[in-house]
Amino acid sequence: MKNFREIELLSSYLDGQLNASESKRLEARIAADPELASVLIDLRATRGILRKLPARKAPRNFTLTRQMVGLKPPLPRAYPVFRFSTAFATILLVLTFAANSIVPRIGMGAAAPAYGYGMGGGGGGDDTAMQEAATEAPAAAAEMFVATEAPSADAPFAEMQPAPSTDEGTLREGEQAPKDVAPESALQDQVPAQSEAPIPFTWQIILLAVILLSALAMWIIQKSASRKWQ
Amino acid sequence: MDETSLIQSAQKGDLDAFNTLILHYQDTVFNTALRILGDDDMAEDAAQEAFISAFRSISSFRGGSFKAWIMRTVTNACYDELRRQKRRPTTPLEPETSDGEEMDSPKWMADPNMTPSEKSEADELEHAIQHCLEALPTDFRTVVVLADIQGMDYTEVAAASKVPLGTIKSRLARARLRLRECLRGFEELLPASFRLEGENTL
Repeated sequence: MKNFREIELLSSYLDGQLNASESKRLEARIAADPELASVLIDLRATRGILRKLPARKAPRNFTLTRQMVGLKPPLPRAYPVFRFSTAFATILLVLTFAANSIVPRIGMGAAAPAYGYGMGGGGGGDDTAMQEAATEAPAAAAEMFVATEAPSADAPFAEMQPAPSTDEGTLREGEQAPKDVAPESALQDQVPAQSEAPIPFTWQIILLAVILLSALAMWIIQKSASRKWQ
Repeated sequence: MDETSLIQSAQKGDLDAFNTLILHYQDTVFNTALRILGDDDMAEDAAQEAFISAFRSISSFRGGSFKAWIMRTVTNACYDELRRQKRRPTTPLEPETSDGEEMDSPKWMADPNMTPSEKSEADELEHAIQHCLEALPTDFRTVVVLADIQGMDYTEVAAASKVPLGTIKSRLARARLRLRECLRGFEELLPASFRLEGENTL
């Protein structure tokens, strides 16, 4: 029984992997040792049998299609420009919406303490609460009209006439019933803040148009490129 | 167009250039897969997967033997296929007769240029060799398939298997030794020139 190191040497020798001196030494041992020579013959025969194994032809062609490798048609150089402009315009559009909705709130947030002090401590900076108060203001004025009508029929009515529409009336009513009039003055403070959007609506329209046109251009480029490619 | 130019074109995404390379290597790749896996359908799948994977990663080819590189891809695909087979065992290599018995010389192994007797002998010998190959551990089988069946040199086999040269030498010697023992059981099928020597030399 030969050890594995000898068999490894014989296998390498068979493939010409030993250097000249190693080969010479092994050849001398093979000549002197019939058992080693027999192993070499067996290994050579085994290799010969394996080499005799017929090579089979591929049963079909393994050529690849573009779909198989997920290749996309080459796009013209203008394509990234449109892609960039679409992305950039979209980001800008989102920012304009964000700016238009956040900036007035910041303005209102700053106005809220004044409103609170005017009310005598009631309420906070909440937008909806203020709007509710504002919409309730005419009704409150009407109630006040009914309430003040009872004690005197003529003089108070004359005083009440301009109350809902003029500043003068508001001031006078403020003297009589500051609690009811205060929301109306808050509404008047608030209205200019809401109408002053930092980004004009026109810009948003322009950005939207840029997005739509760029997306359309990209779609057309993609379609024409894939049609050409096919 | 030579191989280097085709590889360079393929690296730039030229699928036609890569398909030319496929046509050149597909028989070698399929045969390697067939000898490692021992099954036609699995070998087809592995070869196809190997080519897809090779195209996707051809940019990582940095020169050297393209054959060794493509062989590494196919051996990886074969290992994947064997792992998949372990999880979901499939039908055996040999087709069965209507009685449910294995056909010793299946039709798909036939070579139309041989006489019926030669065909039968060749089929049986091929079957025997394949049987002995399949008895080897996968790493040994891969090395012997690449070195002895595909005729690659040790350096190429080392590159294709991603193992050191010394390991290749050792695995090849062990694989040949085991094959020799296995083929002794099919002595009558072996051609006279390949008959193995004495019984107790090792």
